[in-house]
Amino acid sequence: MTEKVKITWNGKEIEAVKGSNLLQAALDNGQEVAHYCYHAGLSIAGVCRMCMVEQDGVPRAFPACNATCGEGMVVRNDTPKILAAVEATLQFHLVNHPLDCPVCDQAGECGLQDYYMKHGKYDSQMIDKKVHKDKVQDIGKNVMLDAERCILCSRCTRFTEEVTKTNELGILNRGDHAEITVNEDLKNDYAQNLVDICPVGALTSKDFRFKQRVWFLEEVFTTCIGCETGCSVKVSQNKNGAYRVKPVFDEKVNGHWMCDDGRGIYKHVSSPTRLQNASENSNGLFVPVDESKVTELVKGLKTKFILSTSLTNQEYAAFFAAVKGSKAEVALYTLPVLGPDFDGILRRGDKNANLRGAEAAFLAAGFDSTQVGLDKVLNSIGSSDVVYVVVPEILYNEDHFNTLLNKIEKAGTRIALTPGETLSSMKVFNFLLPVPSFLEKEGDIVNFQSELRKLNAGLSYGETTKDVSYYGKWVNV
Amino acid sequence: MERVMEKDTANYKDYSLLSYHHIPGVHNLEIFERAGGYEMMKKCFGMEPDAIKEEVKASGLRGRGGAGFPTGVKWGFFSKDRNAKKYLLCNADESEPGTFKDRFLVEKNPHILIEGMIISAWALGTQKGYIYIRGEFYQQAVIIERALKEAYAKGYLGKNIMGKGFDFDLYVHRGAGAYICGEETGMISSLEGKKGQPKLKPPFPAIKGYRGLPTMVNNVESLAAVPWIMRFGAAEYKKWGTEKSAGTKLFSISGDVNKPGVIEVPLGTSLKDIIEIHCGGMRNGHKLKAVIPGGSSSPVFNHDESYAVKMDYEDVAAKGSMLGSGAIVVLDETRNIGDLMKWTLEFYHHESCGQCTPCREGTGWLESVFKRRDIGKAQKSDIDLLDKTAASMRGQTICALADAAAMPAQGMIKAFRSELEAYIMTPTHTGKR
Repeated sequence: MTEKVKITWNGKEIEAVKGSNLLQAALDNGQEVAHYCYHAGLSIAGVCRMCMVEQDGVPRAFPACNATCGEGMVVRNDTPKILAAVEATLQFHLVNHPLDCPVCDQAGECGLQDYYMKHGKYDSQMIDKKVHKDKVQDIGKNVMLDAERCILCSRCTRFTEEVTKTNELGILNRGDHAEITVNEDLKNDYAQNLVDICPVGALTSKDFRFKQRVWFLEEVFTTCIGCETGCSVKVSQNKNGAYRVKPVFDEKVNGHWMCDDGRGIYKHVSSPTRLQNASENSNGLFVPVDESKVTELVKGLKTKFILSTSLTNQEYAAFFAAVKGSKAEVALYTLPVLGPDFDGILRRGDKNANLRGAEAAFLAAGFDSTQVGLDKVLNSIGSSDVVYVVVPEILYNEDHFNTLLNKIEKAGTRIALTPGETLSSMKVFNFLLPVPSFLEKEGDIVNFQSELRKLNAGLSYGETTKDVSYYGKWVNV
Repeated sequence: MERVMEKDTANYKDYSLLSYHHIPGVHNLEIFERAGGYEMMKKCFGMEPDAIKEEVKASGLRGRGGAGFPTGVKWGFFSKDRNAKKYLLCNADESEPGTFKDRFLVEKNPHILIEGMIISAWALGTQKGYIYIRGEFYQQAVIIERALKEAYAKGYLGKNIMGKGFDFDLYVHRGAGAYICGEETGMISSLEGKKGQPKLKPPFPAIKGYRGLPTMVNNVESLAAVPWIMRFGAAEYKKWGTEKSAGTKLFSISGDVNKPGVIEVPLGTSLKDIIEIHCGGMRNGHKLKAVIPGGSSSPVFNHDESYAVKMDYEDVAAKGSMLGSGAIVVLDETRNIGDLMKWTLEFYHHESCGQCTPCREGTGWLESVFKRRDIGKAQKSDIDLLDKTAASMRGQTICALADAAAMPAQGMIKAFRSELEAYIMTPTHTGKR
């Protein structure tokens, strides 16, 4: 299967796996091929007719997406005939496409705009009435459908048919009256992928629409901390905060997709209620306080740490290096399993993003990372102790976390290190200290397959720091 | 050319397909058989399947659905494994405007099709067959159903036919009235219970068709020609027609002639003879203006071209059109080509399946551009736009529907440009001008 063949593409020799998709081979080799309906994660539809190529010895032009690589193929998509065909086909795509670009969220990353700049640039000869379809359809799961903008590439219907196997979408009617129809509101947990694969602005995310223009956003390639799967993702962000999360192709982990839960992992990062300064509990209200006051207060006290599973390997290592030789006790709070262990596609019930990394670090430092270890530390809390709780970055089940908080009430001083928002249950703490979120630090996490994936820093928000020794600093104040 | 035919005896001398049509009640198996029907089926079961395939190939029979691809060659692509599950699919979804030959063939004589299909099934080793019939042909579907019952009762269909250990079941499937289901892969999609949309080729149906299994799709007329070929041999069949277009062909003739209808003549018969002799000349002494030679998707011939053309695949193609399904539409000088154009564009806009962009948007746009006079925005240059748009639709889609819409439009522009210009510049009551 991995036999390599040589293909001549536009006069340039490229190498591809024998029998693999010709269009994909060209794209993998950095060749430009216009396409809408082809998606590497879906079956071949061959309907957009943009990827037409000519091959030596074959009388008719054919779409590259429906061809396979063979030894010695001589293929071109830059002949005058093909370029004229692509321009004409693009014009057909635009005949009934509304001029919504000024208000369309896809603008800036739209297949129609991109190819118009490359293959179009003609004057419109369309003075006729366009076909009108329903423009605002809430089809569930945060997805909005604008049937007029749709170019009927059928990526979305193939996605619901082949990936989620839920078949919510179909194409109704024929000819230029054909439109995407919703058999029932979206019910699958991967619906936001529809927004990603839509090459135009027909499917948009309710969460993202009208919030930002894409050309004001930068992408940070990082890893989802929503569950132990650890999908490779990119977060679109700018100085005002993060706006959306999209999957990045990762053959070993998530392929092309990610689940809807992971789409929300950015929300706490730029939330207005996120803790920004060290704060002191003053009769139930948290007021900013100088960190040195906290340092002063806890000096010399017996320390107990309850870590979360969303730190990086580097943060664990730096922390345990500080713990070494001290009398501090350390335990690990693991998030409870939510839903089925595995939903058959990507999402897992175990929501602990870096459990593997935490366990390894605990083991190496001689601490118990299990529930037994946690119970032991909790039971030994005395009134003269200071308890540090690292709040998990994403709390799916707040009640479960609250039971942990109830057990630390005996401690003399209770301090939370939180990368997220201030919750009402946090009133149990005397002090709150902000720590970096996953978007503000660099490091590695280990997913359920023991695959190492990187977290990358994008935002710098508030007074948080990228210094991995942040947690360890509180061991020996 | 009046032919004297004896009642109750088949006229194999003059016809291959319509050799039984003059016999009253030939749709009954008994009468059909008395006249010589099913003899060939019995004879063929004594032959090697490959010998039948060879004979059909040697006859030069070409697919009568429209494309004209040699049937024997197409059979050659089919899976040779006789034990593998395969299908024989008869294309009776005759929807090309102007075509009504298959309807005429099966409603008078369904058994010739069934006999042809049984022989073909034996030759190809298919265990199941479907006759996919156009939804509007309700009566014809009933007639075929009745004929199938008779054939089953006689043991010509079902298990262990003629004691040869060969099983062949044949079913009728009615379409729901979509033109596109006459395209072989669209038909397969429809038969599978899906939306009738053509499938990407390759793979071709002969390799991967109905339910992903090898499927041979042939037109009614092609399959019905098989018994005659087997009776008299390929050499006899080739005596009809021209070198590359062998045999006889059914032509459906409609329009401004005295005697419209279905005729069977050897390929290569001149269109002039067909109009003047077989159809009794032009109606009311009018002058011939144009002829559509092969159904609505073929480019139109003007007066001179019409009288010069011979009706075989090569000559029609050489003169810029195509023989297609053999649907001849004759127009006299009272007809306006603009109306024909409008009607043709409306038809293809309505029938585009909507899969491929050039066809989905192109067919609709062609119609809009041509109808700009209705919104008072027509210009003479719109004809150039139509020509250019139609040209860019050709060869760009999965199936040939885009070409079927573009070719007649371009043909009419080529032959009757000034008339079309005058037509689009004529204001209508809805267009403000």
